[in-house]
Amino acid sequence: MVSVINTVDTSHEDMIHDAQMDYYGTRLATCSSDRSVKIFDVRNGGQILIADLRGHEGPVWQVAWAHPMYGNILASCSYDRKVIIWREENGTWEKSHEHAGHDSSVNSVCWAPHDYGLILACGSSDGAISLLTYTGEGQWEVKKINNAHTIGCNAVSWAPAVVPGSLIDHPSGQKPNYIKRFASGGCDNLIKLWKEEEDGQWKEEQKLEAHSDWVRDVAWAPSIGLPTSTIAGCSQDGRVFIWTCDDASSNTWSPKLLHKFNDVVWHVSWSITANILAVSGGDNKVTLWKESVDGQWVCISDVNKGQGSVSASVTEGQQNEQ
Amino acid sequence: MEELDGEPTVTLIPGVNSKKNQMYFDWGPGEMLVCETSFNKKEKSEMVPSCPFIYIIRKDVDVYSQILRKLFNESHGIFLGLQRIDEELTGKSRKSQLVRVSKNYRSVIRACMEEMHQVAIAAKDPANGRQFSSQVSILSAMELIWNLCEILFIEVAPAGPLLLHLLDWVRLHVCEVDSLSADVLGSENPSKHDSFWNLVTILVLQGRLDEARQMLSKEADASPASAGICRIMGDLMRTMPILSPGNTQTLTELELKWQHWHEECERYLQDSTFATSPHLESLLKIMLGDEAALLEQKELLSNWYHFLVTRLLYSNPTVKPIDLHYYAQSSLDLFLGGESSPEPLDNILLAAFEFDIHQVIKECSIALSNWWFVAHLTDLLDHCKLLQSHNLYFGSNMREFLLLEYASGLFAHPSLWQLGVDYFDYCPELGRVSLELHIERIPLNTEQKALKVLRICEQRQMTEQVRSICKILAMKAVRNNRLGSALSWSIRAKDAAFATLVSDRFLRDYCERGCFSDLDLIDNLGPAMMLSDRLTFLGKYREFHRMYGEKRFADAASLLLSLMTSRIAPRSFWMTLLTDALPLLEQKQDDDIETTKVEMLRLSLARNLARAIIREGSLEGS
Repeated sequence: MVSVINTVDTSHEDMIHDAQMDYYGTRLATCSSDRSVKIFDVRNGGQILIADLRGHEGPVWQVAWAHPMYGNILASCSYDRKVIIWREENGTWEKSHEHAGHDSSVNSVCWAPHDYGLILACGSSDGAISLLTYTGEGQWEVKKINNAHTIGCNAVSWAPAVVPGSLIDHPSGQKPNYIKRFASGGCDNLIKLWKEEEDGQWKEEQKLEAHSDWVRDVAWAPSIGLPTSTIAGCSQDGRVFIWTCDDASSNTWSPKLLHKFNDVVWHVSWSITANILAVSGGDNKVTLWKESVDGQWVCISDVNKGQGSVSASVTEGQQNEQ
Repeated sequence: MEELDGEPTVTLIPGVNSKKNQMYFDWGPGEMLVCETSFNKKEKSEMVPSCPFIYIIRKDVDVYSQILRKLFNESHGIFLGLQRIDEELTGKSRKSQLVRVSKNYRSVIRACMEEMHQVAIAAKDPANGRQFSSQVSILSAMELIWNLCEILFIEVAPAGPLLLHLLDWVRLHVCEVDSLSADVLGSENPSKHDSFWNLVTILVLQGRLDEARQMLSKEADASPASAGICRIMGDLMRTMPILSPGNTQTLTELELKWQHWHEECERYLQDSTFATSPHLESLLKIMLGDEAALLEQKELLSNWYHFLVTRLLYSNPTVKPIDLHYYAQSSLDLFLGGESSPEPLDNILLAAFEFDIHQVIKECSIALSNWWFVAHLTDLLDHCKLLQSHNLYFGSNMREFLLLEYASGLFAHPSLWQLGVDYFDYCPELGRVSLELHIERIPLNTEQKALKVLRICEQRQMTEQVRSICKILAMKAVRNNRLGSALSWSIRAKDAAFATLVSDRFLRDYCERGCFSDLDLIDNLGPAMMLSDRLTFLGKYREFHRMYGEKRFADAASLLLSLMTSRIAPRSFWMTLLTDALPLLEQKQDDDIETTKVEMLRLSLARNLARAIIREGSLEGS
């Protein structure tokens, strides 16, 4: 049974563009065209406004929580071309850093796996992707990938941290050599995979081509310990593709069409154990998908907005056991 | 895209009715967020926003029911016991253990049902009461299904005992008999009671012939006219051959005897012996297994599986398990009579009679609202070696898949998650990684909870998670200015960088206030001191202070000297060290300290000189 367990009245004065739960599901961050970012405590079905953060000069498109080991940190990006990093210090939320290195709307922000440190990727309509790395004492180092996507970059998503070889005890203080990767989607209809080279520069590693229109969102699935990597991408062309790469070294990615929707698909997102993909599109629905026995993707639920009673009994179909 | 058997179900989220606005969502650790939005990223939104609400939705709200929690807790214990059953055990002893486990699970369900029933009765709010009652029916259906599965799959009752088990099964689940019996027997003239014949009939339908006979003797006493035929009927009832436990006769012998008895009943029917009593004649027909007569008693039978069992009892008591499904399907069809269609429960039972375990599990998964039932039943059936493993992407076989789903659901709950840990432990393929992903998301509200989580991680050598959690706690402590706590957490996390950070804070505090906090901790660092240079420095520096306080000036001085000459002193601290040296320099002590003082002076002078040279050099060279 699916039930609404909480309804949070954000009191945003304009359209809400993003809402993100923190790591533990105790706090909710929202952002809106009303230029504000709000944070709520949503424990036990309640809602307490913790912060109403002002600082952007245009609609705020996305928010992203950093891993709690770095403290309470939230990033936001906006039409005003800026990325702001907010931090909670002594119980109050404040602007900790502002990054104004883009020439156009910043559409997407995504924190890297905590194992890499505190690193934020930002994708912008100016076609560039910038990577902000916290180096300590309030300082952020910026690396910029210009012309990552012609016309604009709409989404960025990090690959889960996987160490080549085994992760046996290394001497403390010495970080294992992670290969950092992330995916981006852009207005050039492409999904690109980026890898950090040994010299610290970011290089385009792969182009995933399958869409005939702008790629609106990409989501790299969390790792469940298998050697396969999975990326979901959705596009203006109504299609959602699931890309899989069976082996970290082979680098061949094969797409599988999840579904062709009747309208633009805006958002894809994986559940934390990566076994359900949620897809949201222009058809006013959120659909949930699971992979079945023989590798086919099956729609297991539709979450629809509309009137009527809430607890319609929704049950998940079991995986096909034929 | 593959199609499911049925259409995916649709959940409606109440929102402002606007066909134009789109729905945004995201995943939380255990739930989903949805809200209204417009995905078109333009500076000015074209539509007036109608809804500033964000909905948090979640599956498996059952986890929050107080009473069901007992079910989860107790079944967890049974589950663990089952996993630990010696794999070496085979044959009869293994089977009896598995049957015992099954009965334990069922008794837990029944206990839960009973409690919920009480709550339903006591509920003040009728809507609540209804909800509890419906929960009771669900539990009852679960127990019904489980019981049948136990008989067919675990007990694996052969022909003969099979019918006895099925009779027990029916008797357990159609329990109006007892209340009816109490009513009738409690009255002054039982045989004149309105429901008297209903009672006798249902007793016959359930094969409770001894009790039926007792009823008839009351009738015989009350109306001497019918005493004769009552006695004959009673004899028939008494002499019906039935397999009793411990009976040594073979199945063939039983069949033969039963055949004779059946023919005797047939003769009475032909002779119209009971013509004067329509009730008794109807009972005779029932005992002859006459379908029409049975179907007349639909109301008393109340469901098709009761009809099935009664039918078998009086027409084919030595039915073989593999033949069950013929009777089951036809019983269902006859009973429904084309007037209604089968419900999910009916389909599940049918699948069980067909020995199609996969179908049973599949249908149960669809019909039930949480994974508890299918996870535990499938696990048990797997232990009976009844499931061929299909390779699934998530969980290498069905058992694991279901356990993973169930355990994941438990993690949504603030305390039940601990049960989930054990379930993950017994999922060999993906249990560990699932546990890793889930355990990091448990909010560490209290120190106690954090320690619990850590203990679980440490027991399983989940070092990455331990480190991550300790870092989170260390960070939290630093933010709340609890430096001692922060330091212990970073030591536990073996996080050199963080330990350095905290040590710096300690040293800075010292510079500002002239004293240390958390002396106990720093004094007792032990080998942990080696974690980071800064930490080592902190420890040694404190040691210097201690020595100085104890007036062990010689030791203090040489320690100070080693601190200065080693590379571990942070540059910012050199002034402080030199300042600390001053009082020592002024001490008039023995030779040792003189040497040390001189060394120190030389060192600081040398350093100054070096610095000066460099500065001069760079200016000149530029």
